[in-house]
Amino acid sequence: MIGVEGLAKARGDVPVLVDVSLRAREGEVMAIVGPSGGGKSTLLRCLNGLEVFDAGAVEIAAHRMRPGPHPPRLLEAVRRDVGMVFQQFNLFPHLTVLENVSLGPRVVARLPVAEARARALAQLDRVGLAAFAASRPATLSGGQQQRVAIARALALAPRVMLFDEPTSALDPAMSAEVMETIVALARAGQTMVVVTHDHAFARRAATQVVELVAGRITRTGPPADILGP
Amino acid sequence: MSGMKPRRRKTLGRLVATAAVAILLGPASAAELDAVVARGELVWAADQEGGGPHVFLDPDAPGRLTGFEVELAELLAAELGVKARFQQGQWDRLPLLLGRSVDCVINGVELLPERQRDYHCSRPYYAYGLQLIARRESPLDTVEKLANSGPAGRWRVGVLTGSAAEIFLRSRPELAVDVIGYDGTIDSLEQVQSRVLDAALMDDCIFNFYADRFAALRAVGRPLGGGYYTVLTARDTPRLSAAIDEGLGKLIADGRLKSLYDRWDLAGRQQILALRDAAEIPTAGRRTVGRLVVETLPMLLSAAGMTVLLACLAFPLAVALGLGIAVGRLYGPPWLRPAITAFVEVVRGTPLMLQLYAIFFLLPKVGLALPALVAAVAGLALNYSAYESEIYRAGFKAVPTGQFEAALALGMTKWQALRHVIVPQAVRLVMPPVTNDFIAMFKDTSVCSVITVVELTKRYSVLALSTGRIVELAVVTAILYLAMSWPLALLSRRFEARQEKTP
Repeated sequence: MIGVEGLAKARGDVPVLVDVSLRAREGEVMAIVGPSGGGKSTLLRCLNGLEVFDAGAVEIAAHRMRPGPHPPRLLEAVRRDVGMVFQQFNLFPHLTVLENVSLGPRVVARLPVAEARARALAQLDRVGLAAFAASRPATLSGGQQQRVAIARALALAPRVMLFDEPTSALDPAMSAEVMETIVALARAGQTMVVVTHDHAFARRAATQVVELVAGRITRTGPPADILGP
Repeated sequence: MSGMKPRRRKTLGRLVATAAVAILLGPASAAELDAVVARGELVWAADQEGGGPHVFLDPDAPGRLTGFEVELAELLAAELGVKARFQQGQWDRLPLLLGRSVDCVINGVELLPERQRDYHCSRPYYAYGLQLIARRESPLDTVEKLANSGPAGRWRVGVLTGSAAEIFLRSRPELAVDVIGYDGTIDSLEQVQSRVLDAALMDDCIFNFYADRFAALRAVGRPLGGGYYTVLTARDTPRLSAAIDEGLGKLIADGRLKSLYDRWDLAGRQQILALRDAAEIPTAGRRTVGRLVVETLPMLLSAAGMTVLLACLAFPLAVALGLGIAVGRLYGPPWLRPAITAFVEVVRGTPLMLQLYAIFFLLPKVGLALPALVAAVAGLALNYSAYESEIYRAGFKAVPTGQFEAALALGMTKWQALRHVIVPQAVRLVMPPVTNDFIAMFKDTSVCSVITVVELTKRYSVLALSTGRIVELAVVTAILYLAMSWPLALLSRRFEARQEKTP
């Protein structure tokens, strides 16, 4: 499902990623851990083409990306199959919660409005927020906003979900509620890659842990091996 | 004159300033004859933008003022035993300068009943005729033909706004003539030559002066009417006024005025005969302010309607175009961006008046003659689109990059992300400055008067000139502008309040 081969990227003379290779099968949950500034987010953003890379290759959901700028058509195809959740939620503030979640089905999947709304409502229900469908994002708590962002990504039925430090902007209580949502998703067999600082979460949800330090993979293996019991 | 109103930009600001100056200073006491003599200078006012043959810049000696009125002022000053000093002013505001820094106005000012009421008008110094001008091959080859429509319907005749020519034509509704007012002295000649107009009506001396420049045009028949130019002085300087009258009398009697006019090819002998026989004209009575408002308000209101129409047609176009420009500049193909940037800088860096002028007066020369209203809307929309695009550009940049990334991460194309996520947010952000520009456009519509569109400021100007009630009408006009912009200001504040509520 995911295959990264010899990925390298530099900003100017500073290497950000050095010869990164990893694989994940369908249904796997990969946690990427490591100190700040180690290239975790950059690696994740290479997986859906938000960043370009200098060398190597990325294969994800049966799409293959090469170094340098990606063709727009390829990017759109990759992103339809790969959902992403950001640290800062990035909900669209001018739309209601329901509109946030139904925008992708309507515009990207080109579903009729009624069908897009139904699909969005189902995803909101899944993250426990159907009651907030008509609210504006700004009126929700941080944890609720992040769950809406998860529903928004799920509404396009992605084959892979990417999470970029999904709980770092949240206090512990809210962080726990978002984590429960992600763990439930993992249990349901969703393939995903999660960049996180939270080792407890990685132990609970991950099938595989990758440690990235200064742009290189230093260790990789089952959670118990990397993070301890 | 009927002749010297320059092109200019008139704004609410100027109206208010005119009123404020007049109210704050109150009636000023003008310098009497002895003060002029003690000073050693007679300060006379004119507008050098008005053109020849009255007062204009000498093309052969750049920076030097020349014209028959320059020489007349020097002769009159010499009669008083002093030197003449020129003071530049806006033609239709020249009388306001009397008693402040200026002793007299010598600038083709026609002797009219209203002027006799408000100022001291000297004995006439020049007799003008109103001459009809048409293209040489025009079917309009006698003035009698104005009584009936021509082959293409009613005759379109251009005049200088507020001039005696305009008053003459507008007071004769029986003629099959549509009168179009221009701000510049020879604008109407340009438009006759470009076939936008059938004819122009103006002081004969002006056409004679510029005839060589318009070889395709000719004078049609004899002058339709005429009148006299007079020297204006303040009412409270009777001895100065008398001295100027006396000086003029001497210049007429001893032949110096005749030789001056002969030197300027102004038919000296005929002038002297006409001036000798100049008949008295009546003085107008004074209307109360209430009556003035009742009489002028309908005209001011309909002109305000034109102001609203111009702004309401042009602004949505400007906003749409500005949005397109901003998107093109930020997200368009790289080869297009320099062209868009150049457009924005050229439009922002040149005055709206020049742009309107180019659209209205230059396009007909390449075969594209737009009606005045269309040209005005197009000019305003183009001009404002450049400003709106810069506001939008700032708006786009104020939308966090995470929004764009989130839209792209959903699989949207760049254009889908713009349309559904970025533009709606940017539009909300820029609502207050855009509303602000809408208010500004209401006032900028006044510039359209240079291309014959009669909107509120233009109508004010004409009425102020014909009634002499500059201050009272300025206040009424300013109130009308406020009535238009106030609701927009409230709207703008509501947008801002709403924005503070939804971060």
